[in-house]
Amino acid sequence: MGGVHPHDSKFAKDCATEVLPLPKTMYVSMAQHLGAPAKPVVAVGDSVRTGQLIAEPGGFISAAVHSPCSGKVKAVAPYADLSGRMVTHVVIDVEGDEWADGIDTSDTLITALPEDRQFILDRIKACGVVGLGGATFPTHVKLNPAPGSPKAEALLVNGSECEPFLTSDYRLMLERPKEILVGAAIMQKVLGGPKCFICIEDNKPEAIKVMDKALQELGFADMVVQPLKKKYPQGGEKQLVDAVMHRQVGSGALPISVGAVVQNITTSFAVYEAVQKNKPLVSNILTVTGDCLPADRHHNYWFRIGMPLSYVAEYAGGVPAEAGKIISGGPMMGKAVVNLDAATVKGSSAVLYLKRETTKRWQEGACIRCGRCADACPMGLEPLLLNRLYKAGDRLEELEKYAAQDCIECGCCLYSCPAGIPLLDNVRQAKQQVMGVIKARAAAAKNK
Amino acid sequence: MTSTLIWTIVILSCLGLLLALLLYLVAQKFKVEEDPRIDEIEAVLPGANCGGCGRAGCRDFASSAVAAPNLDNHFCPVGGNAVMEKVAAILGYEVVKKAPQVAVLRCNGTCAARPKVNTYDGVKSCRAEASLYGGETLCTFGCLGQGDCVAACSFGALSMDPETGLPVIDEEKCTACGSCVKACPKGLIELRNQGPRGMRMVVVCRNQDKGPAAKKACANACIGCGLCFKTCQHEAITLENNLAYIDSGKCKLCRECEAVCPTGAIHGINFPKPLDKDAVKERIAARKKASAEEGAK
Repeated sequence: MGGVHPHDSKFAKDCATEVLPLPKTMYVSMAQHLGAPAKPVVAVGDSVRTGQLIAEPGGFISAAVHSPCSGKVKAVAPYADLSGRMVTHVVIDVEGDEWADGIDTSDTLITALPEDRQFILDRIKACGVVGLGGATFPTHVKLNPAPGSPKAEALLVNGSECEPFLTSDYRLMLERPKEILVGAAIMQKVLGGPKCFICIEDNKPEAIKVMDKALQELGFADMVVQPLKKKYPQGGEKQLVDAVMHRQVGSGALPISVGAVVQNITTSFAVYEAVQKNKPLVSNILTVTGDCLPADRHHNYWFRIGMPLSYVAEYAGGVPAEAGKIISGGPMMGKAVVNLDAATVKGSSAVLYLKRETTKRWQEGACIRCGRCADACPMGLEPLLLNRLYKAGDRLEELEKYAAQDCIECGCCLYSCPAGIPLLDNVRQAKQQVMGVIKARAAAAKNK
Repeated sequence: MTSTLIWTIVILSCLGLLLALLLYLVAQKFKVEEDPRIDEIEAVLPGANCGGCGRAGCRDFASSAVAAPNLDNHFCPVGGNAVMEKVAAILGYEVVKKAPQVAVLRCNGTCAARPKVNTYDGVKSCRAEASLYGGETLCTFGCLGQGDCVAACSFGALSMDPETGLPVIDEEKCTACGSCVKACPKGLIELRNQGPRGMRMVVVCRNQDKGPAAKKACANACIGCGLCFKTCQHEAITLENNLAYIDSGKCKLCRECEAVCPTGAIHGINFPKPLDKDAVKERIAARKKASAEEGAK
């Protein structure tokens, strides 16, 4: 249902990954995941080694954070994140890259799966693995559905990377296919052996070929590579479940309610490293690209979490003069970078330089009721109606009835609107208000 | 010709009377018994339906006041004590008097004092902007300037000053209904007691960053230096999260804090005369000297 077809602009797809050298200082954020911020367990002056725990989970839905380098803790203080909000960071003066004990840093592939389910979950939790598809939801929570949930029938490993420009997942599939598959097999085991689909959009034929070959070599049963039609947002959780399993996840429900678990391929790789190598999540792939860069300046980097974005930008040749907007993530759902000194986090996937005219908003016109936004909405909502209800003010009951809370903020409505109406902005506000009402109601019901 | 006209008038009039009688009988038969005091109270209320009392409107206020055992939880901020006295008289309850209040803005991040570091081009709404990021300047606590408060005010008491980029509160028109307080996503507007002849002292800033960061973001910011806190003789000032706050209940309006504030973040509002900083500073110095001498003895 719905969706749009922006030009895929994957300029960096043929650029092999390079490893970024460590900067002098690293800023490790304590809020890199969905849920409660992590609690620092190091103090100023402590010596840390790469992969050493520096912050423990701050709640049930939270994740551990590890040191991305070896060195001395310089400060534990609030610093501005990429949108200018203050978040506690652990600042480390880099001295080298000496890994903590018990971590396998070699590239040897380990295919033998551990037997114990709890051991796997503990490793994933201890290594601070979070969903790297964008939402950064703690993986150990997602792989351990609440008691009473339906049994997982399918594990969807999401390599669709439907956002334009982004190529980090694609490069990982080309360069580390077997690790991804072993990671998927581990998650399959934890979930009690559902069928596993490696979902890749058909605009990445090389990735499909490479993953298929790796799968044949490894010989995993109950695992297939599933090509998907190219469409944005094909990689959205509910959209993927619909595309592969032809099941619709209900309003406010999780994919597990229809027997599906969705994990990104990068998460799968992180799970492999955590379980097989005891290696915490301290690095990831970041694409540096954009429509104002010359052909030879697109890059894919292995970065360590905590490297300032400005350092990555500098290493990649500096911010181009034509860049009117810098985005962290994809052009559809990424966040505009207000503070380039902000640190990279676990979920960082791209630094995108866009020309001013690419990002400029249109002059807002009148709605002509063409219904393109309703056609484009992958959740089957009617953005034009929600927009009108929101603007009328105090129509929360109707907004809830027309499911403003189901908006996944993909931006298809705004992309398709010929009148340049800021549909997403308004629907997002409406969603926040409705979510507030729903949460308050749930809290009231709990107190009763 | 004339007879047709007459007949028409007569028939239509009779029909009208008949139907009116029918309506009257039906209305009598299905009448909902309602406390007449609700109408009486509604008549004395301002009728603005602003929701400042926390109810859906004036009639809702009236019916809930009639049902309540006393007036502790009912106060019409728009009408104030005068209206509440009338309401109390109708109900025969005791009046609960409240000091008259007024909305106060706690940000002085003017365009001149607070340089912009990026451009926001999303929808013109403070709430939308605040949900996306910290704002166009380095101060993540300050006014976003999109005018949600102006849109929320049903009394025309707020307007945007294009020069400063901040809202201006017209104290004559402000009824302290609190709509703007709810509308501001940064919590910059507060209802304060009006004070004697409208005079009051306010820290016009909510920045909780440390001094250097606050100063870098805005020349008018409270940098949490604590000078006002140390100077105040009436324990009216508290310092928390690098931010000073003046308790209007304890403040004696001596204006010493205003004189010592290095960034001018403390404003004396509605004072008849401008502050003579040097005289106040001399007074503070003399007092310090005297107390030092006393300590030496």
